[in-house]
Amino acid sequence: MPGSLIRDWRFWCLAVSWLLAVYVLTGPKIRQEQPVFRLIAIADITRSMNATDYQIHGKALSRLDFVKHSLQALAKKLPCQSELGLGVFTERRSTLLFEPIEVCSGYNEISAALEKLDWRMAWAADSRIAGGLLSTLEMLPKSNAGLLFMTDGHEAPPPNPRYKPDFSGVRNKHKGMIVGVGGLARVAIPKFNAKGQLEGVYGPDDVPHRSTFGESDLNPEAIQGYNARNAPFGNETVIGEEHLTQLHETYLQQLSVEAGLGYHRLTDVDALMQSLNTAGLAVTVRAESDQRWQPALAALLLLALVYCGLAFAAAF
Amino acid sequence: MNLAVDSPLWLWALPLALAPWFSAGMSASAYPWLALLPPDLPSLAVSVLLRVLAVGATAALVLGLAGLHQSGQTVERIGQGADIVLLLDRSNSMDNTFAGQAAQDGSEESKTAAARRLLADFTGQRQHDRIGLVEYSTSPLFVLPLTANKAAVQAAIAASRYPALAYTNVSKGLAMALDFFNAMETGGSRLILLISDGAAAIDKDSELLLRTAFKQRGVRLYWVFLRTAHSPGIFSQPADPRDDNAEAMPELYLHRFFQSLAIPYQAYEAENPGAMQQAIADINRLEHLPVHYFQQLPKKDLSAACYQWAAALLAVLLAAKLAEARL
Repeated sequence: MPGSLIRDWRFWCLAVSWLLAVYVLTGPKIRQEQPVFRLIAIADITRSMNATDYQIHGKALSRLDFVKHSLQALAKKLPCQSELGLGVFTERRSTLLFEPIEVCSGYNEISAALEKLDWRMAWAADSRIAGGLLSTLEMLPKSNAGLLFMTDGHEAPPPNPRYKPDFSGVRNKHKGMIVGVGGLARVAIPKFNAKGQLEGVYGPDDVPHRSTFGESDLNPEAIQGYNARNAPFGNETVIGEEHLTQLHETYLQQLSVEAGLGYHRLTDVDALMQSLNTAGLAVTVRAESDQRWQPALAALLLLALVYCGLAFAAAF
Repeated sequence: MNLAVDSPLWLWALPLALAPWFSAGMSASAYPWLALLPPDLPSLAVSVLLRVLAVGATAALVLGLAGLHQSGQTVERIGQGADIVLLLDRSNSMDNTFAGQAAQDGSEESKTAAARRLLADFTGQRQHDRIGLVEYSTSPLFVLPLTANKAAVQAAIAASRYPALAYTNVSKGLAMALDFFNAMETGGSRLILLISDGAAAIDKDSELLLRTAFKQRGVRLYWVFLRTAHSPGIFSQPADPRDDNAEAMPELYLHRFFQSLAIPYQAYEAENPGAMQQAIADINRLEHLPVHYFQQLPKKDLSAACYQWAAALLAVLLAAKLAEARL
């Protein structure tokens, strides 16, 4: 009785469901514009990055560990065909461990390299962030990679405003942003011995509290015990709070303006992702994306309707 | 066999597959008295079968949507393949030419540039190897784990075009390279390829650690020493007995140390890019011995198979629907 078959909505559901399933087998794809990123992350590995002022699930985490964690999450979150390179900064320059690697096929490698980031990789001490940023910008060619310079902005020894690096040569030549890492409250910096074991924290006597290089930026008359040749910074012992560390956000923001970069404070990966998008670091590529899920989902719903139809009908 | 899905959230739709147990999926026909019908085994079987098919079709669609795949498959292979850790010297002097001068545009290439070019070639030829990379200067830098991802290896080798770092602390670099073989389960060929243009004295503590580590982990060592003109080489003997110590002749002493390890060890001294190419070609040839290893297979997508099952089961259900008796 074909008439009753045509009137049977279950038949139609099944038939359309089957047709959709057959359509799924043809592997429908659409070519669409998709934003991808090509990024080089440079992580500050100086000692102040060992300060623990982040928490994940109630566990205290050092700034460097949080950077690693965030970059691993970022590598997972970036759309396929995006690329991520990695480098480290210490002293007054940085080095690149690898050029950008595709994040989907190379996730394991990127993640393992991030896992092994360590303050002990540092080839020299000092933390001259402005100088390091400048040399990094000079070192990296004008590639299409966006720079993520991840630092807490804690310079050691403290910078002398008289000798500021001149960013005019590299200003606006690179895309990218400075990513501020750390909290705004002052915390102690862990101290490790030669074997890498934790040995208390840095005290006021362990670190220089002012720059003693060159000449002071102050008026000589304002400096106690000034002597142009023997004591250009005066003869007073300065005890400051340089042994404690915090995110020097205004300093980093000022640097980012000078270098023509953006600024972002590292909180979580979603916020970072959003900043990357708004900073215009995305490049649009045409990519084929798998669209099988759409007909498959429709087929599933129709099939479910056949068996749950009465329940639906009863519900409405 | 490890089954996994890409997007587990879809699995919440799996209970839909239970619906056919509660509903026949057919319109009910009025019948005066069901008890009048005799129990019929074939009918029962058909009814159960149809429901099983419907459960299967629903489950197959859900699993397809979730992106079912198989991962972690390994196959045992015998072939040419090795686990190679490249240990690359990133001390300042590597950025000079073999003549010991700063490399300038257009002039002779620097030692780093030559190493980069030849290593890129070498790793490109080694299709069946897993390659890891460690750089060292004052301290070791972990760059890449042992990986078959050739694009990643090339990206890491390419990154050595940026300026070199500081000093030569070879013992820490060796220790990190040896750590690559720490937790490895299988045998197979393991080797460290050290490329440096200098050496440093190894202190007593590290010497002992390195000695045991080399022995335990069965690692072969190749040292390609890039000799700068007019500097002491691996094989030069001290002219003055007072110079016969590790501080004055670190290269010779490092070579003696490697020889004393009682492991397969081969040293090459290259004084120009051509000699270096020779050395690397030699290693390439030596390491073509067959080895026994386990290869990790890439994940195998099963969603297409799920959809095929769904389409087939739906076809049977549709046929059954067409055969449905209507009163």
